[in-house]
Amino acid sequence: MGGSVNNAGQKTFFEKLQTRKAQRYIIIVTFMFVPLLLLLVFTYIPFIKMVQFSFYDMKYIGAKTFVGIRNYIDVFKRPDMFGSLFVSVYYMGGAVLQLALALFFATMMVFKVKGESIFKAAMFFPYLICGIAVGFIFKFFYARGYVLDTILQLFGISAENCPLWLQDQKINNFSLAATSVWRYTGQNMVLFLGAMMSVDTDLYEAASLDGANKWHQFRYIIMPSIKSIIVLNLVLSISGSLSAFEPPYVITNGQMGTGTYFVIMNRIAHENQRVGLACAMAVVLLVIIIICTVAQQLFFKYVFNDGSEDESKAAVQAKKKAAKAAKKGGA
Amino acid sequence: MKSKKAKKLLSLTLATTMVLSMTGCGNSGSSNDSSGSSTASEVPTIDQIKLGEDYQDLKADIKILTDRTDIVDTTYKGYAESFMKEYPNIKVTYEAITDYAESVTLRLTNGDWGDICFIPDTVEKSEFSNYFIPFGDYSTLNGIYNFVTSKTYDNKVYGIPNGGTAGGIAYNKKVWKKAGIKDMPKTPDEFIEDLKLIDEKTDAIPLYTNFAAGWTMGAWNDYVGVASNADPDYKNNKLLHQKDPFTKNDENSGPYAVFYTLYEAVKQKLVEEDPASSDWESSKAKINNGEIATMVLGSWCVNQFKDAGDHPDDIGYMPFPITVKGTQAAASGGQYAFAINNKASTDNQIAAMVYVKWLLEESPIYDDEGSIPALKGKELPDSLSEFKDTELLEDNAPAQGEESLYDDIRNTAEVLSGDYPVGEVLEAALYGNKSLDDLMAEWNKKWTSAQESNGAEITG
Repeated sequence: MGGSVNNAGQKTFFEKLQTRKAQRYIIIVTFMFVPLLLLLVFTYIPFIKMVQFSFYDMKYIGAKTFVGIRNYIDVFKRPDMFGSLFVSVYYMGGAVLQLALALFFATMMVFKVKGESIFKAAMFFPYLICGIAVGFIFKFFYARGYVLDTILQLFGISAENCPLWLQDQKINNFSLAATSVWRYTGQNMVLFLGAMMSVDTDLYEAASLDGANKWHQFRYIIMPSIKSIIVLNLVLSISGSLSAFEPPYVITNGQMGTGTYFVIMNRIAHENQRVGLACAMAVVLLVIIIICTVAQQLFFKYVFNDGSEDESKAAVQAKKKAAKAAKKGGA
Repeated sequence: MKSKKAKKLLSLTLATTMVLSMTGCGNSGSSNDSSGSSTASEVPTIDQIKLGEDYQDLKADIKILTDRTDIVDTTYKGYAESFMKEYPNIKVTYEAITDYAESVTLRLTNGDWGDICFIPDTVEKSEFSNYFIPFGDYSTLNGIYNFVTSKTYDNKVYGIPNGGTAGGIAYNKKVWKKAGIKDMPKTPDEFIEDLKLIDEKTDAIPLYTNFAAGWTMGAWNDYVGVASNADPDYKNNKLLHQKDPFTKNDENSGPYAVFYTLYEAVKQKLVEEDPASSDWESSKAKINNGEIATMVLGSWCVNQFKDAGDHPDDIGYMPFPITVKGTQAAASGGQYAFAINNKASTDNQIAAMVYVKWLLEESPIYDDEGSIPALKGKELPDSLSEFKDTELLEDNAPAQGEESLYDDIRNTAEVLSGDYPVGEVLEAALYGNKSLDDLMAEWNKKWTSAQESNGAEITG
């Protein structure tokens, strides 16, 4: 680099590159480049393509014709499509139950229990099994004359009185939602437990000295401390139940009224090769999930505390007002 | 600076060699092609070969790829041995491949895979000549062999199936006999009556739907066509232009009759108690030992049912019970087709041709596999003996320009495609919330709108 110092006062390009600021930018850009590229290539470009496809009548191969918003009209008009969203209500109910169970078990574990780690492992285990395998387990669990029926018979219920768990349309969606409760409760519990661990144990002692029982300790110490993780789990469970797929796909093939939105979408895209229509379904689902998530956030913000802070919304607003007034007064 | 230049140079040379080597590949590929086609002209067509006389002194080692890993060392080895007795100078070896279609598709492209293979479905008709030599002209061979239409391109036959299957119904002979049924049913109503008899007089499940497996329900779609209309033109040509094809007719034939059979069987509780928890694997053993009386599946299932238990002789196969103007018909189609490598040496190609001809005409392959002979005029195998009075028809090819119309219409209509629509029929009957006529009217509507959106003319 002998010829680089031409002008003593001005820095050359290479010298500029060696300054601290430039180095920082270079590092930031180079480190970001790969993940951003991956994100762009595998998430955003396919997403943009999907939105584009949703306006066409097309197959995976062959020519495509532009049909405007006809696919979207179909999605809302066809009872088997939009109606299938109501199947998700069962899974949402399951999600609420699952969170309550997980909270209960996590609280039990936080107050010293015997054999805690065995319980924890046993509860978490279902989450480690892949969803397809869970489907097959329950396919035989619910099958006529198999596991569940046999267990019920041990309790004196005769074989004829056992319901057809997968066929009876009054209960088959409950059966399927139960499998996802079984699978995810342990995972939720571990998440809750992790958050609860961070609570200072002295607080329990102090509270019990003041005469608080376990319920009070849960209500006034644990709940407020893990609020944000509860909200997060709820958001994840609700959007997860809107896109429930594995239980109905594996166990009932989405038939007998158990077809969730995802199962129908899969069928439209792969069995019937109507890619445009399936893309429109996917876009509609995305919008619904966004709406649900935002609605949930708003709900928690206004009805309860905002979830991410220790103070309630009202308290925060009062504080802000006071600060404003002080500012005005100062000026 | 010097080292940088050197690096650049190095990468440049690397890039050029890579490009050159790629073009090299292309060149060698095309030269192989031309040599392949030039030798092909010296190979006789399959109809010119006289078995036992020609090419007795030809010396060659030929290799055959097969998907039948289960019988390659027993049945197929036996064929090779008895062939080698007649042609001692030709040595035949088999290679069995699990995951056949996928690995053979890959191996075909490099040319060095052996001499005879089954054509995987992934190879398109227009590509046949890149990999295989023709057996002869379509017009000649079509008079000698069955099922050659599907492997013909440009009037040249590139593949001949090792037999064919027929569409019908598998049943347990013992159970049907026990129920006192002497004549096989010829109409949907007779079939339902027989199922009722079985229900009353035996403990067997009259008809097992295998609803939970899904694809097993899709099998019902296969009877729309030849079995429902006794017309080889129906599925690929007439159905596409027919107005309201799912309408009921007086003699109870046509697509309506196929689904009527399922609907009535379910409605009258002649199927398993809980279709949602049916299980395919165990059903094979159950039909073998007589717990199940009937299953509606293609004839490929017969040998599987026979192997599934101790009563292989109880398994029978009958035509689908629809009679159209006095004739009962069954759809038949070719199985995997033999094809010969166009990159093999001429001697190997001739030897391979001789062996294929011997397999098709002199080996016991049709009886062993229970398939319809590919050689015209041969007797049906025992397992299909009940098809003697049935017309075996192969769907005719669609008209030019309409090759994909059938798939397009059924996919748009979401009817006759996959297992879900058939499941709808079963559900309607099971829950009793929709009559078959209502459901078929819906299907007619879907079919009509799909015909319109795909530009198919409705002629009546």
